[in-house]
Amino acid sequence: MFESLNAKRILIAILGLLFLGSLVFVQSLEVARKRSEAGLAEHPISIPQSSKACVECHAQSNPGIVDHWTDSTHARKGVGCIECHQAEQGDIDAFHHYGHDIATVVTPLDCSRCHSAEFEEFTRSHHAKAGNILHSLDNRLAEIVEGSRVPFNPHSPTPGKAVEEVNGMASAATGCQQCHGSKLALQSTDGGMITVEDLKPDAAGKPTNLEAAARVLKDEHGRPRYHASSWPNTGIGRLNLDGSRGSCSACHSRHDFSPRRARRPENCGKCHLGPDHPQKEIYEESKHGVAYRDLKDEMNLDGESWILGKDYSQAPTCATCHMSGHTRNGGKITHDPGTRISWTNRPPVSLVMDTDADHKVVTAIDPEQRRAEIVDTAEAKRQRMTDVCGHCHTPDYISGFYRQYDDFVILYNEKFAKPGRAIMAALTEQGLLSEPQFDETIEWTWFYLWHHEGRRARHGASMMAPDYAHWHGMYEVAERFYTELIPEAREIAEKAREHGKAEQAAVVDAVIDNILARPEHKWQREAQATLE
Amino acid sequence: MGRIANWFQERLPIDGHKLREMTNEPVPGHLKRWWFCLGGTPAYLFVVQIVTGILLAFYYQPSPQTAYRSVHYITHEVAFGWYIRSVHQWAATFMVAAVVLHQMRVFFTGAYRKPRELSWIVGMFLLLCTVMLGFTGYSLVYEQLSYWGATVGANIADSVPVVGGALKLLLLGGDTYNQHTLSRFFVLHTALLPIAMVALIVIHIAIIRIQGVTEYEFDEQRASGEKDTFNFFPDHFYTELVIGLALMIVLSALATILPATLGPRADPLITPEVIKPEWYFYVAFRWLKLFSGTAAIVSMGLVVFVMFLWPFIDRVLRRITRIPTISVWVGIFAVAAILALTIWEAVVPH
Repeated sequence: MFESLNAKRILIAILGLLFLGSLVFVQSLEVARKRSEAGLAEHPISIPQSSKACVECHAQSNPGIVDHWTDSTHARKGVGCIECHQAEQGDIDAFHHYGHDIATVVTPLDCSRCHSAEFEEFTRSHHAKAGNILHSLDNRLAEIVEGSRVPFNPHSPTPGKAVEEVNGMASAATGCQQCHGSKLALQSTDGGMITVEDLKPDAAGKPTNLEAAARVLKDEHGRPRYHASSWPNTGIGRLNLDGSRGSCSACHSRHDFSPRRARRPENCGKCHLGPDHPQKEIYEESKHGVAYRDLKDEMNLDGESWILGKDYSQAPTCATCHMSGHTRNGGKITHDPGTRISWTNRPPVSLVMDTDADHKVVTAIDPEQRRAEIVDTAEAKRQRMTDVCGHCHTPDYISGFYRQYDDFVILYNEKFAKPGRAIMAALTEQGLLSEPQFDETIEWTWFYLWHHEGRRARHGASMMAPDYAHWHGMYEVAERFYTELIPEAREIAEKAREHGKAEQAAVVDAVIDNILARPEHKWQREAQATLE
Repeated sequence: MGRIANWFQERLPIDGHKLREMTNEPVPGHLKRWWFCLGGTPAYLFVVQIVTGILLAFYYQPSPQTAYRSVHYITHEVAFGWYIRSVHQWAATFMVAAVVLHQMRVFFTGAYRKPRELSWIVGMFLLLCTVMLGFTGYSLVYEQLSYWGATVGANIADSVPVVGGALKLLLLGGDTYNQHTLSRFFVLHTALLPIAMVALIVIHIAIIRIQGVTEYEFDEQRASGEKDTFNFFPDHFYTELVIGLALMIVLSALATILPATLGPRADPLITPEVIKPEWYFYVAFRWLKLFSGTAAIVSMGLVVFVMFLWPFIDRVLRRITRIPTISVWVGIFAVAAILALTIWEAVVPH
């Protein structure tokens, strides 16, 4: 076969052309790669027929929205505007818009039409419960101490602006709720607002309280009007009108839903920063953050798959440790960041993250009762995190780290947090503090101690940021405890004694004396004794 | 044109006819069969390796701090870097396969017998050089496999009786993998081994030219009774060109469909759960796992020694056993054993 010269010549010509063709193909791949790197690549997008009109019109009125969507995986997979924004008859926020029933706000329940597993994981996460801040001390601060739950008259005229009434909830709406999530509200025809509590939605998100539904104020196009105090809002624990919680765009951003952005620590830094929980700054100080800044260009952050140990291993981001898949769990991502956390450092005294069937931390002390309640142990959570750590650290290193971390949290708990809580409890029980919070100096002192400095210390230890663990953390905790909390408590007791409450004062003093007599505080008492 | 030709003729007085005669020796008819043309394939792939290797060396930086990053840069940043690296990697695999297939063809056809024993021995050196080039090549990437592969390789060298320690020191430039190890591998891979190969190929081809290609007679030739030969140029040259082009197409296709990947960066603190070398070391790797260190090394050394001296051993064996096809049976047994050990290593996870 092919033994004649002519046959060989023809064969050479065909093969030569084929080889040339393969080089042209390589060239086209290279050009496509360079175009993609330069951001010039035009992704083949598929606009569903139902969304064609939306895209054409909004490309004129909101080109940014359409541009963002065009770059998204949704656009490439033919998921258009209607697929996410579609509403059904009976949805409280639905309105008719150029032939379609749609809603402005897309909730996790809407996303669950395609992403059901992610919805389930997210819904049971602590992220989804972030809206519970509405009943917390932080919220009292924003709504009462910083603002006012009732509108009030302006103090004096504002030149150039006719201010008739001050919205006292502005700090809560713009501060707390933008991270924690607002209670989404529609304007009511009676001038009030309608929330999920009024609507009482069923499992499908439809309101069951038709009287409240009938009160929704609509504009001239029949569009329900959101209450400005609750929307725009992409807080992660937003209380939605359909009964679902949270907002997927809190992490994934609309309308490009960029996986790269969700993988980057900057994304989490919208909320996890500042004096009370500076996780972002702590991460940046840690070796993990240092490595990320150095090597982020090599971390395949744009990759369709982003599995630790397979697609990258240069450095971890927040997502890596708390959410992303890795080679030891089959690449399974979780949308519940709490599944790998073994201590909760949120409360004044850190708690071991043994959780019950409702994913709440088990606080019972009795071992039998704990055993009965615990569904997912802190140990199991720690093992899940250890599986992540193990990609870059040896078992000895990881167990050594956890020993240091446990020791640190226990030191904080036992030396400052539990004693501080006991002093505050004694003052309250003896009637020496008023019921409302933040009207007495010591309440601010205690809040600073655990909520700011105590959390900084514990978070610093949890993510290996020594400066936060010490100087921004335990150093300030100790200073606050010895130079403010104890003296202020003593002073309250002293004043109570002067006002005829000697018995109550004695109880508080006894609590403080017992604490300071303990070996860990003895140094201070002895030092004071030398002066006396 | 004539003036230019004269200008060169005055300075290089080479007779064109003589040159044509020299390079156009009649080629035996059996080489019309494509399977007998595999000998040129490794040489052709070697040229591909030199060209792609030079292009890769423009960007590669041989130090533990920079090696992995430079390979990453080649793969992800440099124009056509991924393609050149992928062709280089696939051509390396093909080269080992081509050398082994060529050697098997020579073995089973008895082409190593007198007077071509030296050609076989030089071929054995070429096989060792090819394998060494493969080993040093993937050690340069500085991924986990590179580091731990080199470490295992050095430990194997260390097990060699008497000279083991010195061999390991020579390979690593120290007791353990260190700052200078990659430079050694780089010099071996890009200078010493290629130069040795060029010299060996020249000797190999020179011997072939002096001795001529072993001639085989097939039934139809025997029937005709004529001595069948054909011209090297253009007949055989075209055959080689077809093989070369077909190889380039296959390499190009593999480089685009299955481009070279990059594993995790070498980490001396993390021993991978599974270390698997390139497929052509599977047989040696399995052998090492079956026997203790020194016994495995000594027995492997013995096998290589026997392979080197096979033309002489074969003659003695044939004389003693009076079985003319004894080498074929030994060959079948050896190929079966190599295949079995390779497949065994390939299918087991550890």
